[in-house]
Amino acid sequence: MLIQLVFLVIFAAALSVVWRRATQNVISRREAFAWSALWIAAAGIILLPQTTTVVAHFFGIGRGADFILYGAVILLFVLVFKLFIALDSMERKLTEFVRRDALKDFDKN
Amino acid sequence: MKVVAVIPAYSEGPRIEKTVMSVRTYVPEVVVVDDGSTDDTFERAKRAGARVVRHALNRGQGAGLRTGTEAALLLGAEIIVHVDADGQHDPSFIPSLIAPIEQGSADIVFGSRFLGEAPQGMPLVRRGLLSAARVFNALVMGIPRRVTDPQSGMRAMNRAAAKALEFRQDRMAHCSEILRLATRSTLRWVEVPIRVHYTEYSLAKGQKSFDALKIAWQLFLGIFAD
Repeated sequence: MLIQLVFLVIFAAALSVVWRRATQNVISRREAFAWSALWIAAAGIILLPQTTTVVAHFFGIGRGADFILYGAVILLFVLVFKLFIALDSMERKLTEFVRRDALKDFDKN
Repeated sequence: MKVVAVIPAYSEGPRIEKTVMSVRTYVPEVVVVDDGSTDDTFERAKRAGARVVRHALNRGQGAGLRTGTEAALLLGAEIIVHVDADGQHDPSFIPSLIAPIEQGSADIVFGSRFLGEAPQGMPLVRRGLLSAARVFNALVMGIPRRVTDPQSGMRAMNRAAAKALEFRQDRMAHCSEILRLATRSTLRWVEVPIRVHYTEYSLAKGQKSFDALKIAWQLFLGIFAD
């Protein structure tokens, strides 16, 4: 199927980049192996989608595709929440900066 | 004891002079925090005799109060009074607000709209929301149910309390945050009756019903802030 082919090409490209970076000494060999394992596992799931069903069943979910979808939603939720927190902390720093600027010459006016 | 009133103001040009002057009847020294206003709030507050601090950007009422409180501490204030800029707080209650601090029986005094003085023109929806806020404050925030007004913006505190209360909510959630910090600390707190005049203006500019959800969300995010 076309979608499988597209994903496999992307993973193959990712794998080649990982090993190019390893030979350039940008990342360690250990990191390269870890990334390779991830991409190969992803390729495995694409080639044999039914393997995700085993994991899905373990979590009490019927289909592998559903499992991936639920996982993706949870992951997105966590990432968006982290973004909210980062924004909130930036807002607080901005307030602190504005306050310091406002009070800088307060005694003199 | 040196008393300083703090009034955070955002684009309150048409009302700030009247508010400052009526507050100055009871507290001669007033600090107005111009929270990045787009009008002439700064000039008008100055003309009314207030010391004015200007935020270069609008940072919200809580942020304004904190800046004003720090300014009051710089002025050597022994008692700091928080008052809203839109004129809804009746300044004639300031003496009874600061009395427990002067007598040494409290470190922080909260003005309550529900202790006898009937709020004027408070819509029924607002009253219902404030009851819900009380339940939320008790169950989620751990603020004692004895607190009758969950969102009062009029309060007074002594110098030690002002230094101890590190409220960091910039926008509307600071009321609940200050209540939580005060009631869970060793500070002695008390509520006294105040009167609030709701006008069409103060209702339009003040909190909307939907803001209750925003406040809850801001308080939730605050848990994770560093």
